[in-house]
Amino acid sequence: MIRFTDVSVRYPNGTVGLEGLDLEIPDGQFVVVVGLSGAGKSTLIRTINGLVPTTSGSLEVEGQRVDGARKRELRDLRARVGMIFQSFNLVTRSTVLNNVLVGRLHATPTWRSLFGWYRKDDVELAFQALERVGIVEKAYTRASELSGGQQQRVAIARVLAQEPSVILADEPVASLDPPTANLVMRDLQRINRELGITTIVNLHFLDLARTYADRIVGMRAGRLVFDGTAEEADDAVFAEIYGRSLTAEDVLPGAGEAATAEAATAETGPGEGAA
Amino acid sequence: MTAVAPRAGVRPARPRPSWGAWSLVAAAVVMTIVTGSAIHFTLAPLFNSATRGWVIVRQFFEPDWGFLLTTIKPMGVTLATAVLASMVGCGLALAISLLASRVTTHNAVVYRIAKAILSILRSLPDVVWGMLFVAFVGVGSLAGTLALVMFNIGIIVKLTAETIDAVDRGPLEAADASGANALQRARVAVIPQILPNYASYAMYVFELNVRASVVLGIVGAGGIGQTIQVELARFHYDNLSAVIVLLFVIVFLIDQASQWLRRRLG
Amino acid sequence: MSAVAAVRPTPPPKWRVVLIELVALAIVAVCALGVDANWARLLDAPANAWTYGGLMVRGLLNNPFATPFDEYWLTSLDFMWQSIAMAWIGTLIGAVLSFPLGFLAASNVVPRWVVFPIRLVLNAFRTIPDVIFGIVVMLPVFGLGPLAGALALAAGSIGSLGKLSSEVIEGIRPGPVEAVRSSGARGLQVLRWGVLPQVMPEIVAFWLYRFEVNIRAGAILGVLGAGGIGSLLSRLFDAREWDRIGIALFVVIVVTMIVDAVSGAVRHRIIAGGTSRRERAEIIASTAGAAL
Repeated sequence: MIRFTDVSVRYPNGTVGLEGLDLEIPDGQFVVVVGLSGAGKSTLIRTINGLVPTTSGSLEVEGQRVDGARKRELRDLRARVGMIFQSFNLVTRSTVLNNVLVGRLHATPTWRSLFGWYRKDDVELAFQALERVGIVEKAYTRASELSGGQQQRVAIARVLAQEPSVILADEPVASLDPPTANLVMRDLQRINRELGITTIVNLHFLDLARTYADRIVGMRAGRLVFDGTAEEADDAVFAEIYGRSLTAEDVLPGAGEAATAEAATAETGPGEGAA
Repeated sequence: MTAVAPRAGVRPARPRPSWGAWSLVAAAVVMTIVTGSAIHFTLAPLFNSATRGWVIVRQFFEPDWGFLLTTIKPMGVTLATAVLASMVGCGLALAISLLASRVTTHNAVVYRIAKAILSILRSLPDVVWGMLFVAFVGVGSLAGTLALVMFNIGIIVKLTAETIDAVDRGPLEAADASGANALQRARVAVIPQILPNYASYAMYVFELNVRASVVLGIVGAGGIGQTIQVELARFHYDNLSAVIVLLFVIVFLIDQASQWLRRRLG
Repeated sequence: MSAVAAVRPTPPPKWRVVLIELVALAIVAVCALGVDANWARLLDAPANAWTYGGLMVRGLLNNPFATPFDEYWLTSLDFMWQSIAMAWIGTLIGAVLSFPLGFLAASNVVPRWVVFPIRLVLNAFRTIPDVIFGIVVMLPVFGLGPLAGALALAAGSIGSLGKLSSEVIEGIRPGPVEAVRSSGARGLQVLRWGVLPQVMPEIVAFWLYRFEVNIRAGAILGVLGAGGIGSLLSRLFDAREWDRIGIALFVVIVVTMIVDAVSGAVRHRIIAGGTSRRERAEIIASTAGAAL
């Protein structure tokens, strides 16, 4: 359970990141946060694992207070909270396996990690994570040799290797083409449903938000302006969140049923029948 | 949607260690062992002779500042040498670098010969140039100046030629299209493009020259280096330390000045 | 077609350029005087160069397998090897010592109050020429010989390598580091797996480059008595043994060029190894696209 109680974030240069946020996310929910750039989506996500410190209010993640937490506590928190990024943020010169093993660093003593002598169990976990995202055959390939979609799946595997209770995704598909974006979103949804991991995703593609979210949270100028299900979030609601009428940029290019159907058969499909 | 077990992919076998990388590491280790024994590496003197060294170091911390008055002239000579060699060296190097780039020299033979000669020039340390010119023109700052010029040319030509290689070809084509010959094309299309980088190389080389002058003085090429050589031979460590502090201050100031200049020009 | 009567702009003032050129000439003149050189001797130079050059070449062309020339060649090679050994050990020690200092001088790794003094120390080391290190610290304690020379080169390398390393470290992409940190890793682990893979190839390339520099820098230490090619040449020039000088210079040139070539190739391989086949293909595709 993630609980924001009247949380505000003010950056050193004066910008307001969050303003009086009250939000409760129960375990296992798939939440999508939408809003303009600078509306507070990124700030919201980054406060959960302490990358951005809160200025006031209380933030609890699984019973632990994040605001005012000490370094050690933050590290433990981050071990339980996995994060994937828009630009994948893999170490491009390292292999896929080494990137995934980063997720096991928190459980590895420092001297072992300096030499890369991970325990067998940890390596096994990493391989299983790679299998779950369907990319295990690339385990020893250099990360820079993968496509964008493949890199993001490695990032997801890294997060899975942490055995997290929460997954944060900051615009995970903004750099991907539509079919691949759908694949990644489906992977996240599948993981959420199979493993029951609370998942919070930032998106600015509204159709994706509607397709995959259990719950949509709309941010505007640091404030929460909408909180409801995907059905409740129609175009009028989005127009209010964005403060303008929708444009073509707010949906995936070539969006709609055609794209999702395409995605189901594209690349190496996720292995299940079309949803 | 049905829940599925993790996809059964084929786990790849752990790759054998890369041939190339390990052989490099092995070569490095062998090199270290062999060279270490060649120079009889040991840290024992640190413990044994430390006291002797300490006496000298202590003398070092009591510089004789009065000595500095006699160093004004040699220091001036050193600075003048550095400036002169930089300017002459840079001027000559600019012309020569036109020969050392495929962009400005179309004759493959000329290009290769130029590059070969420059490689040879660059493989001689500044000291060796100093010794050569002392033999050709006698002891004194003339030898030092000439040695620095030769030393500079090698460095600047390499850097400038690389810059020329990387210029935007557009203006070159424009010059060609209007019928310019090679020299005119260089003057009009190449030189203006490389001028900023060239200026920074010139400053870099000037800093090198000031420090190289110390070296050259030791082989008799004049300037502050000669003073250092003399005081060292006489074991006047207090004078020596004063000179070294002066040198340090001057090099530091030049470093700051060139950074400032770089920011102004950049 | 009638010409349009437009107002021709006034040309920009020429006097600025002329002024700069005059100042430059003035500086050259002042320095030429200040150098206090015996300019007359310049006229001797070509003749001397020709004579001595001839002697050097003659020394080179003699049968290297006949005595005493085989001895000369072996001596030159021996001393050159000493220079290389000195440069290798010196660079190695300098690299090892400068490695942690590079991290301590990188503002994205340690707080400002650590960066500042470390940078100061590195700058101090950089400003002091290797010669001074040799004279001041090494020779009194370690006596003459290549060991002293190696340590002087090490001291001289620390400043430059430390500064270059810190610049590479400060230039990394912060994204991967953030990703490693957000997985709960400890500080050293973040350095090892987030920072190090990004910077290692460049830093090793700097070490190799410094090795090339140190082979040349060792020459002056040799003149002071630290061994290597510098001490050999110093003796030969004093004795004016031009045929031996020719041989020695030839050895210096050839060996240096070989070392430069090998080291350069390894450096390029290390850096290019960071560019994957895919990235290289993308680069080729984009330059081809730009060319078309």
